[in-house]
Amino acid sequence: MQKPASYRPSMSRRWWLQHQHFVLYMLREATVVPLVFFAGCMIAGLWALNSGAEAWVSWQAFMANPLVILINLLTLAASLFHAATFFPLMPRVMPIRIGAKTLPVNAIVGGMWAVVAIIAIALVAYFIWRA
Amino acid sequence: MSQTKSIRVQRYLPEQEPEPFWQNYEVPFDESTSILDALNYIKDELDNTLSYRWSCRMAICGSCGVMVNGIPKLGCKTFLREYGTRVDISALAHFPVERDLVVDMDIFMEHLEAVKPYIIDKSKGRPTGESDTYRQTPAQMARYHQFSNCINCGLCYAACPQFGLNNQFLGPAAITLAQRYNLDNRDKGKRERMAALSEHDGVWSCTFVGFCSTVCPKHVDPAAAVNQGKIEAAKYTLINLLNG
Amino acid sequence: MNRDEFDIVIVGGGGAGLRTAIAAAEKAKAEGRQQRIALISKIYPMRSHTVAAEGGAAAVTDEGDSYQAHFDDTVSGGDWLCDQGVVDYFVHNTYRELAQLERWGCPWSRRPDGSIQVRRFGGMKTARTWFAADKSGFHMLHTLFQTSMQYPEIERLDEYYVTDLAVENQQVHGLIALCVATGEMHVIGAKAVILATGGAGRLFRFNTNAGTVTGDGMAMAYRHGVALRDMEFVQYHPTGLPGSGVLITEASRGEGGILLNKDGYRYLQDYGLGPETPLGEPKNKYMELGPRDKLSQAFWQEQQAGRTGKLGDSDVVYLDLRHLGKDYILERLPFICELAKAFVNVDPIKEPIPIRPAVHYTMGGIETNGQCETSIQGLYAAGECASVGLHGANRLGSNSLSELLVFGRLAGESASDLASERSAPSKAVLEQQAQQQLDLIHQLKQGDGSENWVALRKEMVKAMESGCGIYREEAGMQAALNTIRALRQRYKNVKLEDSSESYNTDLLQCLEVGCSLDIAEASCLAALERRESRGAHQRLDEGLQKRDDVNFLKHSQVFYQGDANATITWQDVDVRFSAPAERVYGDAAKGAHS
Repeated sequence: MQKPASYRPSMSRRWWLQHQHFVLYMLREATVVPLVFFAGCMIAGLWALNSGAEAWVSWQAFMANPLVILINLLTLAASLFHAATFFPLMPRVMPIRIGAKTLPVNAIVGGMWAVVAIIAIALVAYFIWRA
Repeated sequence: MSQTKSIRVQRYLPEQEPEPFWQNYEVPFDESTSILDALNYIKDELDNTLSYRWSCRMAICGSCGVMVNGIPKLGCKTFLREYGTRVDISALAHFPVERDLVVDMDIFMEHLEAVKPYIIDKSKGRPTGESDTYRQTPAQMARYHQFSNCINCGLCYAACPQFGLNNQFLGPAAITLAQRYNLDNRDKGKRERMAALSEHDGVWSCTFVGFCSTVCPKHVDPAAAVNQGKIEAAKYTLINLLNG
Repeated sequence: MNRDEFDIVIVGGGGAGLRTAIAAAEKAKAEGRQQRIALISKIYPMRSHTVAAEGGAAAVTDEGDSYQAHFDDTVSGGDWLCDQGVVDYFVHNTYRELAQLERWGCPWSRRPDGSIQVRRFGGMKTARTWFAADKSGFHMLHTLFQTSMQYPEIERLDEYYVTDLAVENQQVHGLIALCVATGEMHVIGAKAVILATGGAGRLFRFNTNAGTVTGDGMAMAYRHGVALRDMEFVQYHPTGLPGSGVLITEASRGEGGILLNKDGYRYLQDYGLGPETPLGEPKNKYMELGPRDKLSQAFWQEQQAGRTGKLGDSDVVYLDLRHLGKDYILERLPFICELAKAFVNVDPIKEPIPIRPAVHYTMGGIETNGQCETSIQGLYAAGECASVGLHGANRLGSNSLSELLVFGRLAGESASDLASERSAPSKAVLEQQAQQQLDLIHQLKQGDGSENWVALRKEMVKAMESGCGIYREEAGMQAALNTIRALRQRYKNVKLEDSSESYNTDLLQCLEVGCSLDIAEASCLAALERRESRGAHQRLDEGLQKRDDVNFLKHSQVFYQGDANATITWQDVDVRFSAPAERVYGDAAKGAHS
């Protein structure tokens, strides 16, 4: 059976600007850019460690550059933002059930933030103790 | 009903005009006037030629999905009181528009059918007598029950940019329905469904925009179902790989 | 014009239509027949109004219950106007059908051990209603629709509007349908046609029904000479939301909800349903668990006495669930909470819900025998559009979802058998009927009429509401009948604004109004001529306020006479098992027929 003429509105290139939800989604996807930079830094660090003291010192100098610190602070913010969008998904994709009841979303998300906080505090405490 | 609101409706009349156009209507309203009530008022009192789908007007049949100011909404459960001066109503996004607010749902129906949305159980122990039933505890039912509440309104497809870019993507509702049966303890048909789900146009076309769950009028959370499907699809692919 | 031929054509994609289609497909498979089955629906099947049923489906389930008890409840609930052979068949077959639906995946609510849970319902002696939270119809419809997808023999024609049957010499040859998307006429031959088109609640202004419930199938059969039976019996559901008429399920009361007037008094104890039952201890066939006709009538009495409250323009009473507690309400009645919040801005956990009666169900319909066969060979009817004789003068809640399964299956299996024996449909009859329909639609689009269907519909629903309400009077019914007859004449002069082909909903709604007007006449005429009070038909006229078994233990049958006035005859009721007795509830029922 032939359907009558229909039109299909095409999606504009700026579709993601049309709703706040899509803007946040694009922002979340964009967090990958600083993360790639940070991953590059880490790989370079490993390479430098392996290449001897001179390379290690120059890598340390590079990491101490204010611009690099700024970018890595941005990376930290980006990964926290990504976590904030990702954590609420966890209980929905992998719900924890006790009998017919599901553990509340807030409890699981709160739990994950608590783990993040504990690790962060432990690391900071470790470095202070080392220093 | 002394106040009125100006409503813009996107019309498409292919037999008269090749392009869609906007038309203004002045509609009386009070606290309880829904978008669907407004459309019915226009149809009855102002313009008999306006076409749109509706049926139950109590948010369970899934007929009256439209875009209101660019957001997918169920017309009967969205009220004029929620809006200011701008109320633009158009057909559900990402589907071909056939006339006014009526979209072509064929591709949606094909996707539903593609996931084999019914109990598949060829096991020896299945109940076969005409008065026999399965046992299913409340805990077993809780695993899939939320996903069984989908009313097939299609709002999630209108909210999904991936479906907008590629309508071969099975989409949120169809994948949710597959997951509804996969999680049902009466069903043994998961393997039969996973082939369609594991393809590129299955779960992997989803990039977790998540807007589908935001617009869902029945809190079905299709985004959760799709991402559960990704875990299942990954397992399925891996097992197939190991089995050669 | 497009032409096709099937063995079996089912009109209507709701619960009854889908069950019929699956039964026909299974029967054909079991008998080794190659049969083409078409399922035609004016909307996508999962949009059908079965979707809005909330409470559940009845079947004798628990130990301690019996077929006899379900039979007695149904027959006395129907004020002895039920055909008892049909009721007997029904009560014996409901469990099997609900179990079948379970095996197809319906998420029926369960007990902790995984067995089926049942709930109380009005007019039922014991708890026997299967339910899926408060979306039983929704889950049943989607289960049936999804299950139907595994039968390739079922060919769906979604969004096709059937305009007429092709009938000659009391034999059906198929039907004529309009493809909504294209506006093209389809001439569809068939050896068996099953009408499963639902009720006619939209004859009334204030109702719980979807916009599609316009009685099209009833009108189609009626226009070809099949009697519409018991059309005077229209069920008012006691709990609709004021303003919209949206349904608040009887299960709210089955779970323990109570009805209060504006003074906070449980008024049902004053209407033969008492004594008052303790809060949170609902008792079958007492108080709020009385039958729907009695509860709606009690509302009317309270309204006359000035003891109802107000919400907007509506007189209301209140449904109080608060004592059930949040968790229980959210488990058993989540949809009710959603609806009350959306449509009257009330949270049932915190406040009583304002409600009032609304037209809900058409007890009467296309006359069939116990096998779902109409007087036209090859034509069947099942579900709400049919009058198989199950509901009598008042349907019990949760009997209709069971009905559409039991009789849908029966119709589908019988149709498969019949289609294997009947010869091919006559092309000449089909072509002739199709030409008539084309001419009619051309007339609507291009003729020089001056009437608009919207105005006719408004006058119809107003007339029906004022003349054929919860209580009826001679003068009011006569006035309604006169109005409807005048509207039928005016309908001949109707003209459309929209002459286009694709998705012409102006045309579809106009055709629906034409159907509604024809059956509205049948409904008014039968109401006027039934000079007694029985079940949902209650008269205020002097001397007619009681049941009159001497003269009216009979089904009404209304026959279409074209442009002339419809005529009425009377048919005996099958009372082979249970002699008519007084219909009583509450303590008054103690020691009476039970």
